[in-house]
Amino acid sequence: MSAISLENLTKVYATGVTALDGLNLEVGEGEFVVLVGPSGCGKTTVLRMVAGLEPITSGTVRFGDQVVNGVSPRQRDVAMVFQNYALYPHLTVAENIGFALTNKKIPRGEREQRVRSAAMALGISSLLNRKPAQLSGGQRQRVAMGRAIVREPSVFLMDEPLSNLDAKLRVQMRSEILRVHQAIGAATLYVTHDQVEAMTMGDRVAVLHDGVVKQCAAPRELYDHPANLFVAGFIGSPEMNLYEASVSEGELVLGSQRLPLGQAGTLLAPYRGRKVIAGVRPEDLGLDGAPGGTTDPTGHAGQATLAVDVRVVEVLGSELHAFFSIDAPAAGQGVLAAATGEAEGDLLAGSAHNGVARLDPRAGVRSGQRVRFGVDTARLHFFDPDTGTAIR
Amino acid sequence: MSTRESRRLERLAERDAAIPVELYGLKRGTVSVLTACCVLFAAFTLIPLVWVVINSTKTQANIFGSFGFWFAAPFEFFHTFANLFRDVDGDGTYSRWFLNTVLYSAAGGGGATVLAALGGYGFARFRFTGSRLFFGTVIAGLLVPITLVAVPLYLVYAKVHLINSIWGMILPSMVSPIGLYLMRTYVQLAIPRELTDAARIDGASELRIFFKIALPLMVPGLMTVLLLSVVGTWNNYILPLIIFSNNTLYPATVGMGLWSQHATTSGDANLYPLLVLGGLVTIIPMIALFALLQRYWRSGLLLGSVAN
Repeated sequence: MSAISLENLTKVYATGVTALDGLNLEVGEGEFVVLVGPSGCGKTTVLRMVAGLEPITSGTVRFGDQVVNGVSPRQRDVAMVFQNYALYPHLTVAENIGFALTNKKIPRGEREQRVRSAAMALGISSLLNRKPAQLSGGQRQRVAMGRAIVREPSVFLMDEPLSNLDAKLRVQMRSEILRVHQAIGAATLYVTHDQVEAMTMGDRVAVLHDGVVKQCAAPRELYDHPANLFVAGFIGSPEMNLYEASVSEGELVLGSQRLPLGQAGTLLAPYRGRKVIAGVRPEDLGLDGAPGGTTDPTGHAGQATLAVDVRVVEVLGSELHAFFSIDAPAAGQGVLAAATGEAEGDLLAGSAHNGVARLDPRAGVRSGQRVRFGVDTARLHFFDPDTGTAIR
Repeated sequence: MSTRESRRLERLAERDAAIPVELYGLKRGTVSVLTACCVLFAAFTLIPLVWVVINSTKTQANIFGSFGFWFAAPFEFFHTFANLFRDVDGDGTYSRWFLNTVLYSAAGGGGATVLAALGGYGFARFRFTGSRLFFGTVIAGLLVPITLVAVPLYLVYAKVHLINSIWGMILPSMVSPIGLYLMRTYVQLAIPRELTDAARIDGASELRIFFKIALPLMVPGLMTVLLLSVVGTWNNYILPLIIFSNNTLYPATVGMGLWSQHATTSGDANLYPLLVLGGLVTIIPMIALFALLQRYWRSGLLLGSVAN
């Protein structure tokens, strides 16, 4: 049985804005599910509805087999970590952590003991007598975590808990949160807009867009087999290159270039003579005609090359991003970069690009160069241009 | 760190934080003109106070006969002070009126603060049917001057036996639309919604959230409301004038109004020195209260606007 199940959850605000539109999601016992999506997609609303802080327009929230729609937050046995931590500024760290236990009228001795052990688990034992204003961002984060874990809740909710931390601390706290999760084993629903957090932390990741779950799967599955254009464009950084293409006899026509489809030809047979959207991950493009990434060990991969004009080169130390242009129209999210180039006319025409390749940092690529990228066509992604769903 | 040391550091920090006027895009000349304007305004405000202080030491003859902004012998301050607290011509005593003022202000101001805290928090944090209408109605009360409602108020008071009752003075003083408005705004700006949400999830009841989480954070705002309400009641003249005919119930404002009337009509009894000194004694508690609460008063007005 799932620890949390959301069925057809809908939220329409008084202003008429639909924040959630029939959302379905399950979180298993002890599972860590990440809800990821762009700003305003409704992820925090989901969390607030699960916590009981937001009235539900329609649909059902279940904890185990109990419907909790009408249950007040204080009776739901959930703990929540807020984006801005929401620490009580006039109470000490110990009082903050112990507040929920005081409300439950837990005897003082037991309360102090539980506060101490939560503080110890998070390495904040020395801060128990301080006020939140005297703490650093990372310490406040830990206090917020402490306040949640001390209750030993059955459901753990986190609303972008790392977004106010600097990059280094964020990496550190990611593993800290996972450690705490493993220790307490509560079903966790974690909201973030940061796909790195989503990919590294979640047992499963639910990608949310316009109040609907676009795909919910394990991180690897989400990355390798995006179910639709939105997920393909949203997951991955740099994002997947997406182009409008057409299918002809065993070949993919991409602008003025033709790529042999190999085995993918069978998959695309129904689309012969029609348009599709083709996607390729930046790391699946390789220099000097060799495909990037891991090649198909069976040797069945369709080998092809793609001639591109490199516009901008960014060296990141561990890798190199080559932004290029090809004459095929970009589709999906990548449209933005190309559109900006076009809109600005001559000024930016030279730098307009509609694709990016992730290469070895030592690759000798320069802007202005025309190069041939190797493409493993078995690693191409195809989407129906009308529905946006993956062709599999 | 000692309090003195921390105050010194605070002063130093304040000095360091002062930004040269040029960086505001102001010329030195403009600053001088503006400073002169401020000085003039301060003088305009303080001159009557200086006059009261100086003339509280004079006899009635000297109040009218000597230069108003300097002292004149004999020094009558203590003599007048002793006279201030005796019954004058059977009109009543200043001490009685002063204590009445303290009672009305403490009860009215305190009550207004409690009601503004409860109401402001309620309007800021809860949505209920008609909440906007209720709030609008209360705020509309700000626009109605008491002189306009004096007659209907008297008639209503007569019906409910509040004429010549201290409750007639205290109950209306406990209603402060401006206090309610200030507290609602203060709660909205200074108490993040997440804080009350977090307390809800932590299992606190709504009453406990109010008393344990919200109220301690509302203190600066409450002090502002307390100050405004106490000052409002302290200086109130019209309401007690309407509802009290028994001079033992008068507050200092109306009592001294009575003396002032006698002083002009009878020209007798050396009432002017008592009036001047009575005025001085009446404003001292207000000055003290402002000085005591000014830290809250300032943060109460400003804190919400820079909430982070």
